[in-house]
Amino acid sequence: MLINFILLFLFAGVPYYIYFEKTKKLKREQIFFLSTFLLLFGIILDSIFPQEISMPFVIVAFMSSLFTLYQANKTTNLYKLAYYVLFFNAPILIMFKPEQSVLYALSLLLTLFGLYLIAKYYERSYGSANYQSVSGITLMTPYAGLFLTTYLTALALYPPFPNSILFLHGILATDMNAILYFIIVVIFFGNFLIAARVMAKTVFGKPNDNIHYIDLTSKEKRLHLALVIVLLMLSIVGLKEVLA
Amino acid sequence: MEKLVLFIPFIPILIAFSLGFLKQKLLMPKTSLIFSSSVAMLALYGTYHVMSTGEDIYGFGGLLVFNKLSAILVPYVAILGLVIRKYSTKYMWDEPQYKRFFILLNFIFSAIYLLVMSNNLVVLTIAWQLMSISLYLLITFNVESKSAIKNGGWTMLIHKLADLFFIIAVVLTYKTFGSFDLSELSQIWLKMSQDGSANNPIIYVIGFLFLFAAMMKSAIMPFHLWLPYTSEAPTPVSALMHAGVVNVGGILLNKMAFLLLLTPAVLNVAFVMGLITAIVASLMMLAVSDIKRSLGYSTVGQMGYMIMEVGLGAFSLAIYHLMVHGIFKASLFLESGSLINQARKSPNIEKRLSSDVFWDEKPQYNSKNMFRLIAIFTVLPVIIFIGVKFILDEGFFNFNASVVILAFAWLTGTQLFLSFFEVNKVNSPKVILALVSSFIIVLFTYEVVGLALEHFLYGEHGTLFYEAATLNVTMFMSIIMLTVIMIIGWMFTYRQHYVNVPVGKHTPSKEKWFFYKILAKEGYISDMYVKYFKIF
Repeated sequence: MLINFILLFLFAGVPYYIYFEKTKKLKREQIFFLSTFLLLFGIILDSIFPQEISMPFVIVAFMSSLFTLYQANKTTNLYKLAYYVLFFNAPILIMFKPEQSVLYALSLLLTLFGLYLIAKYYERSYGSANYQSVSGITLMTPYAGLFLTTYLTALALYPPFPNSILFLHGILATDMNAILYFIIVVIFFGNFLIAARVMAKTVFGKPNDNIHYIDLTSKEKRLHLALVIVLLMLSIVGLKEVLA
Repeated sequence: MEKLVLFIPFIPILIAFSLGFLKQKLLMPKTSLIFSSSVAMLALYGTYHVMSTGEDIYGFGGLLVFNKLSAILVPYVAILGLVIRKYSTKYMWDEPQYKRFFILLNFIFSAIYLLVMSNNLVVLTIAWQLMSISLYLLITFNVESKSAIKNGGWTMLIHKLADLFFIIAVVLTYKTFGSFDLSELSQIWLKMSQDGSANNPIIYVIGFLFLFAAMMKSAIMPFHLWLPYTSEAPTPVSALMHAGVVNVGGILLNKMAFLLLLTPAVLNVAFVMGLITAIVASLMMLAVSDIKRSLGYSTVGQMGYMIMEVGLGAFSLAIYHLMVHGIFKASLFLESGSLINQARKSPNIEKRLSSDVFWDEKPQYNSKNMFRLIAIFTVLPVIIFIGVKFILDEGFFNFNASVVILAFAWLTGTQLFLSFFEVNKVNSPKVILALVSSFIIVLFTYEVVGLALEHFLYGEHGTLFYEAATLNVTMFMSIIMLTVIMIIGWMFTYRQHYVNVPVGKHTPSKEKWFFYKILAKEGYISDMYVKYFKIF
């Protein structure tokens, strides 16, 4: 019970970001790193002390997740979006078995790290990680557009990226019931809606004449490429796991 | 050697990656064309191998298969791909992001090949979803267009729903039957249908989930809106959508044919939904004012026929239908490019293409004899046809149900023919002759090719589907229905085109206006979407 409670907190099943956002004790990127660190710690803990699914905790995480979905659809800040997506996926991490949970969390964290890097690039190039008005980047900054499309595609649970494959793997390995199916449907669509909304306002759209667009530097390109390769490798691992 | 065929889905990915490194614009289409030609060659070789040896080619640990269904569909997709790539070479030349277009095009072809050749539900799921995202990126290729992005968003949403239904169906299939392997599952399903041991209600749930997933991707009503509204995509993409992407529903249902043997109710629902779609979409096609949307509704109607065919157990006929329709619609879209080009050169529409000519030269008399002549010309070939069938083989009557569908299909064709081509009193007998002969050709071709395909794809099990589809229509009913449909169709055409209606004095009744308004506004469904579902 205690472990379950700790895991609920570590797996971002409680929206503790509200406290930091209200008090401004931590910056947005610091909240992202804190939630990432806690999730990693949670994964380790879950591997050491594997727990059975506890429905009340899943439902609490799901309620929190719905609130985060609302928040994610309001924000135009990429840092915030990164940790909102993490909190939104919390019920999945809690309901999956440890082996599936670890892999899904890993793929989620890698993708969110990619999104974080894009947020950093936005901050450097346009003064803030706010994507409002910085539209049409596919045309103006093709590399940034390509990598942002890749991360959002992965977050929207589309293959060939590992998130979708490991999501399927997790469902297959879990003993499902009606409530869990309902949660799965909401998370599946929620991830898609968050990603599609951001994609429509960043990757697509008319380029803004008042903005001087700057593409990724060579170093950034290499970093993103490495990240995408790691994601694809994780996809292969995931596929092997599903088929095993 | 024959195992090389299994690399077909990966060649377009290879092309996409190699395009990424090319700097010279001219080399991009060339590379794409050379490699896709090799895909077509490999596909033809695979078909030859399967046809000559009768053996399926398995590979990658049984994940992929080049079976009889692939032997028909992969060369079709490969040749279609070759034509679309060749067409895009010049058509897209002046567009920004020329490279990106070819990369995306190759990704979607890879997804289609993977979907056709997959022998595993997990691989099928990946291909199914890959197609959704590739399609979205292609539809929104014109990233600056607000409407393209909005309609692309709706497309993505409907396809995502299809993905969800598909995933849940796969999960339930695995949990119920314990396997992902489609060949193995087909054997289990066939055995269950023969034993009569399919008592688990979950099987029906799985059947319905696969059916609805297929209906969404095939733009069956009420999930059709994504197709007519995405005509803003580049013309090659429209051609691909109407000739390739919408067909995946039919392909999926053929892959799941043996599962549907266990679920007659699913087949019945498919028939009803297909019928509604065929009728309503055909009416909307005539009523909407936008020509591209009209073509979209034409495709929706054809997909309705295809699902109807599946609902009646004519699985192989659905495959033939989707291929023939695909070739026809791709030609229409690709031809539209040259028409636009012509229009750019000469902005005034040529008089011979204008509807004014039709009204000017409209016969100024009521020709009842002409109508009778048409009725005889239409009904007589059907009676001869049925007679020939009866003499040849009674087994041919398995296709009676599909004859009814063909009548619908032919009526749509007739309507299109009369709507788009020059019809006046001078050449009306020629038109009648052309229509009647086209009907006979279509009927015989469908019958012969449909049967041949059925024997090729399903062999001795072909008739099982008709038994499972409890809506099989008897010979007598077929003739009656066919005759009624033909007469109604011809009356409609006759009234529309041959009865003297003075131009400008025609005032339809309030009811007619109301009916017309609903059709022209597409049942207000798109308005409702825009008003109440503000997601994108």
